[in-house]
Amino acid sequence: MTSTISLQEVAEQLGITEPWVETGGVHWLAPGAKSVRELTAAMNALHARFITITAYELPKDEGFRLEYHWDLDGQLLGFPFVLTTKSIESIFDMCEAVDWIEREIHEEYSIDFTGREYEPLLLRQGDTTGVNLRDMVAASKENK
Amino acid sequence: MSYKIPMGPYHPALEEPYKLDLICDGETVQDAKLHIGFNFRGIEHLAETRNHIQVIALMERVCGICSNIHTLTLCNAMEKLTNLTPPPRAQYIRVIMAELERLHSHVLWAGIAAKLMGFKTMFMTCFELREKVMDVLQAISGNRVNYSMNRIGGVNRDITDPQAILKMVEALELEMARTVIPIFTTSRTAISRCAGIGVLTTEKATSCGVVGPVARASGVPQDIRRAAPYAAYAELDFDVPVQPAGDVTARLLVRALEIMESCKILRQALAKLPPGEIHTEGEKFAFITGTATARVEAPRGEVMYSVSWKEGSRNPARVHVRTPTFAIMPAIRWMVVGQRLADTPLIQASIDPCYSCTDR
Repeated sequence: MTSTISLQEVAEQLGITEPWVETGGVHWLAPGAKSVRELTAAMNALHARFITITAYELPKDEGFRLEYHWDLDGQLLGFPFVLTTKSIESIFDMCEAVDWIEREIHEEYSIDFTGREYEPLLLRQGDTTGVNLRDMVAASKENK
Repeated sequence: MSYKIPMGPYHPALEEPYKLDLICDGETVQDAKLHIGFNFRGIEHLAETRNHIQVIALMERVCGICSNIHTLTLCNAMEKLTNLTPPPRAQYIRVIMAELERLHSHVLWAGIAAKLMGFKTMFMTCFELREKVMDVLQAISGNRVNYSMNRIGGVNRDITDPQAILKMVEALELEMARTVIPIFTTSRTAISRCAGIGVLTTEKATSCGVVGPVARASGVPQDIRRAAPYAAYAELDFDVPVQPAGDVTARLLVRALEIMESCKILRQALAKLPPGEIHTEGEKFAFITGTATARVEAPRGEVMYSVSWKEGSRNPARVHVRTPTFAIMPAIRWMVVGQRLADTPLIQASIDPCYSCTDR
């Protein structure tokens, strides 16, 4: 399903006054006080297609940044959320497509997507989450 | 009484390792759980230890089938961070490589699907054709799997004789139109094994966010080449085949029609190939701080790369890859529920899964 709504109208529907910023192939909008679930409800109403979440570990224990991406009529939308704690609401019950990427991020960064149950880990066996390969590579080099 | 049948991780019906736990009642599948990760190589983390040249070689190895697509998407993203624009000739060569790779991937898939249908003659025919596509790729790049064609700001190798490539493409198109497509679309063996099985409805395809031929076979007209054109696609005329049925036959038809569309694109691109440089010659570049994202329509659907770089840094700070199979695979669960156990190998193969891509 296609939508003819403009990005400005999308921001107005969300009640966000910040302007869209287009950079690096993405239309970015800072969600401000909007929660990820409010954002998902708005994207669902627009029939936008969920693509992925990209997780970034911020330097110096500043936490994490999760970038949520949707496609709206070929336009790539991005919404960044900075997490100071390792927790954010899950949108799995609202957006089925998010299942595996939430599970992958939970496993790799130990970020808890609250309000959902996790099936056994996606990529590795065992109970360990938050396996930081960057640290492991550095440690193995030191051991050599 | 229901019972659980594990399929995989190593199973004759699977091209690569993954595991499907099938909960069955008699011959009927009641539910399924998927387990992946058997090919996990930590490539995204490895990318953070590679410079801008090494990272291209690394990401080419994410997948053995659509290796060119991965470097194309990565280079598109890195070009946004370096403000480099490939010359027009390079953009056309990128299209030609991408469409040849789509042909090679679709014909490979058709062969494997034929084998799973019990149609061995067709399997041999498809693999013979696939060899011819690979001969074209080798003639252009010198390689048959990892082509090393893309670089930041263009491509590494030129197409010096487009007419010779055009003749090879025309021969391929003729053989596909004469043998592969009629047999797959009219043969009783193919129809009886594929029609009405593994249905993914339009609603489910949309809610699961599936992409590529699987989405298009469920009536979702989504193609990045059309929705957000890259390289030279905006200058080329092609159709996006869509089928509404959502079953294995629809997936077969969509890919068969896409083979013909790829040939159409190749003929146009070879005819229009503009003169000039194939990469930004001698232009110095530097990465700016930021994140850039690129999307490309791979043979299996949309690939997305997010690349983050810090100015002055030798290596990327982060490379995130969202592959098409990662988006499509969870939908297998909905395709196999209510189906016969014996049909599950063909149903899972009908999405043309790539576990190397999925696991990274």
